[in-house]
Amino acid sequence: MSFLGIIDYGMGNLKSICNAFNFLGRSPRLCSTPEEIESCERLIIPGVGAYQAAMRNLHARGMVGPIRAHAAGGKPLLGICLGMQLFSSVGCEPEKTEGFDLIAGEVRPLPENSHYRVPHVGWNAVSLLRPHPIFSGIKTDFDWYFVHSFHFITTVPEDTAATTEYGISFVSIVARRNILGVQFHPEKSQDHGLCLLENFGTWDGTC
Amino acid sequence: MLKRRIIPVLLLKAARMVKGRQFMDFRDTGDPVSAARIYNAQKADELAFIDIEASTDNRGTLLSIIERVAEECFMPFTVGGGVRTTSDIKSLLRSGADKVLINTAAIETPELIASAAEGFGRQCLVVGIDVRREHGDWRIYSHSGRQAAAVSLAGHLRNMERCGAGEFLINSIDRDGMMTGYETELLRVVRSETSRPVIALGGAGHFQHLADVLAEDYAHAVACASLFHFGDNNPIRARSFLKNKGIPVKNV
Amino acid sequence: MNKLNRCQKCGLPETYETIEFDVSGVCNICNSTEYKQKTINWQERLFLLDSLIEKYRGKSDYDCIVPFSGGKDSTFQLYYLCTRYKLKPLVVRFNHGFMRPVISRNNERTFKKLGVDVLEFTPNWRIVKRVMLESFRRKTDFCWHCHSGIYSYPLRIAVKFNIPLIFWGEPLAEISAYYDYLNDTVEYEDEKKFNMCRNLGISADDMYGMINAPDFPVDRRDLLPYTYPQLRELKAINYCSICLGSFIPWDYVKNTELIKKELGWETDELEGVPAKLNTSCEKIECFMQGSRDYIKYLKRGYSRISQISAFHIRNGRLSKEEADAYRQLEGQKPPSLQIFLEYMGLTEDEFNTIVKQTTIPPYVHDYSRSAWADKTPDFDLWYREDNRPKGGP
Repeated sequence: MSFLGIIDYGMGNLKSICNAFNFLGRSPRLCSTPEEIESCERLIIPGVGAYQAAMRNLHARGMVGPIRAHAAGGKPLLGICLGMQLFSSVGCEPEKTEGFDLIAGEVRPLPENSHYRVPHVGWNAVSLLRPHPIFSGIKTDFDWYFVHSFHFITTVPEDTAATTEYGISFVSIVARRNILGVQFHPEKSQDHGLCLLENFGTWDGTC
Repeated sequence: MLKRRIIPVLLLKAARMVKGRQFMDFRDTGDPVSAARIYNAQKADELAFIDIEASTDNRGTLLSIIERVAEECFMPFTVGGGVRTTSDIKSLLRSGADKVLINTAAIETPELIASAAEGFGRQCLVVGIDVRREHGDWRIYSHSGRQAAAVSLAGHLRNMERCGAGEFLINSIDRDGMMTGYETELLRVVRSETSRPVIALGGAGHFQHLADVLAEDYAHAVACASLFHFGDNNPIRARSFLKNKGIPVKNV
Repeated sequence: MNKLNRCQKCGLPETYETIEFDVSGVCNICNSTEYKQKTINWQERLFLLDSLIEKYRGKSDYDCIVPFSGGKDSTFQLYYLCTRYKLKPLVVRFNHGFMRPVISRNNERTFKKLGVDVLEFTPNWRIVKRVMLESFRRKTDFCWHCHSGIYSYPLRIAVKFNIPLIFWGEPLAEISAYYDYLNDTVEYEDEKKFNMCRNLGISADDMYGMINAPDFPVDRRDLLPYTYPQLRELKAINYCSICLGSFIPWDYVKNTELIKKELGWETDELEGVPAKLNTSCEKIECFMQGSRDYIKYLKRGYSRISQISAFHIRNGRLSKEEADAYRQLEGQKPPSLQIFLEYMGLTEDEFNTIVKQTTIPPYVHDYSRSAWADKTPDFDLWYREDNRPKGGP
């Protein structure tokens, strides 16, 4: 049996993502062990909180290896918000921590001033730099829901699939083969968010 | 560009919504789950649920309302009212809330904010501050407007920011339910005393009130209760109005 | 002084709900109408309709439900489905309580000429008055019972009788921007739409809690006619609740000419609207139309004349100058207001105080205006209450 798995590492709004897939008629599997991860044909890493704590929890549960293997095997992998940031080589919240290094780059604080306050919270536009199957059937001028204080700086420009304006132009989607990371929350972005999750549910991992 | 948010507020009492004036004379305004469904159909930017009864007895009711809302509404929502411990915060987040609103506890036990920020991240912490104008100055009140706080507005804002508040929800008690406009002077002061995003609450009576706040950047989001409960308005119309005024709002 | 920004093309003001102006000052509804007139492949849409109908034909006791008011739209849609497709419909009429005599005559003629089964439902008048008052007090709009009933009741019948296909008529895209022709290929009439813009943000559950009181005890079942069926019940019958206007280009002027000719459909006057402007008889099925339009004017500074003019301008039947001239006649008090106040047990001052709760800036109404519109010929036939209980408490 092949499942759509959601990584449960003690951080992140699992419930919202589960609810979204249940609403779409797909029963997701919560994965908190390596075996559960291995049983999945596609995985989602959610996340809300600090980079360091996240990696520590993932290591403690022995999940880092299986997730890397899933990615190496060409199976679809989606990271949401902090989940996307963990794909990077290194983060800094609160201290320098190594990430999955699936997409080269680092995670740094969003620059702030009185006009561009942090966290970046609310609805903002996403400018796609190239088409991606996950956006099939979704209009490009919708806004998506963001809530974060850090951003992903990619090393390889081709890994940046979309940017968003907030004082600077930051990376809002990273994409490399079967790996996709979105800084915004599709499970909180109403109809088009559900559409994106549904597309992920049938995506074959190529782009 | 980041859009300005319009946030309907749903006050809860014994599993029904209510609305009052200056924190008194509450009237029933309907069923919260059906209201959430309606706001979801209207593509509201965010919802805020505040339990004004906030006793340990009815915590279960609030959690079950949030769970039911989370099953069918896929947009952000903030929940508050009587949040006192990290355990309270955890159960709300697990039920489906994205952000937790903390008011009285932030004044009495500011260390709660610090430990919550560390454990859950500051982006899920909204510190609510209820304010009255007294003798030409701004006075913070806790316990649903019943108890004057010793800390000053500026002091509290700075302290909360240091502890890890993600956003501030500034509620004018004087303007609550009066539908005569937001307390823009208060918002101006708050804007200059904090570097976090600010949500304005208290006083919206028609769409120009929203425009008055957002056009001048007095706040980054406007929260409204009476505006949508009483009177022929909804978030869709609010968005059209603001768009015609050149204020950036969510594209749907 | 009230200077409202208006659409450069149709003249609708900025206070019109959902209106947005583009860089040339043309509104989103005009732009959507242009898309409808120039870009949609209506032949393709008709093929879609053909195949949709065949999917449902003969599968239940009736091929479809046609919710019916007796106005120009529902009469046309019934006529169209019966004559073009030879469908066996169940006509479902929700009686809002304000039917005009001309509509009763029209309906009898329509039903007998077309030969259809009709189910008519009249809700409890005592409850109707109570919810009218509550809805008016809270939302400055007294039509909650009508809209909630019209859009829920036929769906409830669909579930009860297992008739999944429900045909509505005019898409909302014709008159507002809740939906538009560009983005919404098929306009569904479902719970999302119901919640978005039909029920004033008040569900039947909400209304029950709002009106049930010791001095006016209400049985929850009294609100059933206004209660939208559960989604799982609708999915269980594989429901399909759609607008005919998504498949054929809706032109209510042509539609009205057709039903006048084929069914002898009679017209009548509207309160506060010159007969010359409303030859296609918008809204003659409700004698509270004048009061509803008047409330709109108090809040938003425009009324039925502006709406009808805008529609005719978009379809090339009226010029802006002619529309401007008609607009000068807006805002007169409708005689039906006296009846409304009587039903509700309100004075005109109390009425004004309630309406003032909703203002749509920048319009500010001058309440010293007092001119009354003419009565329509059938005014004296409309239902009056003597000493019967009003809408209170």
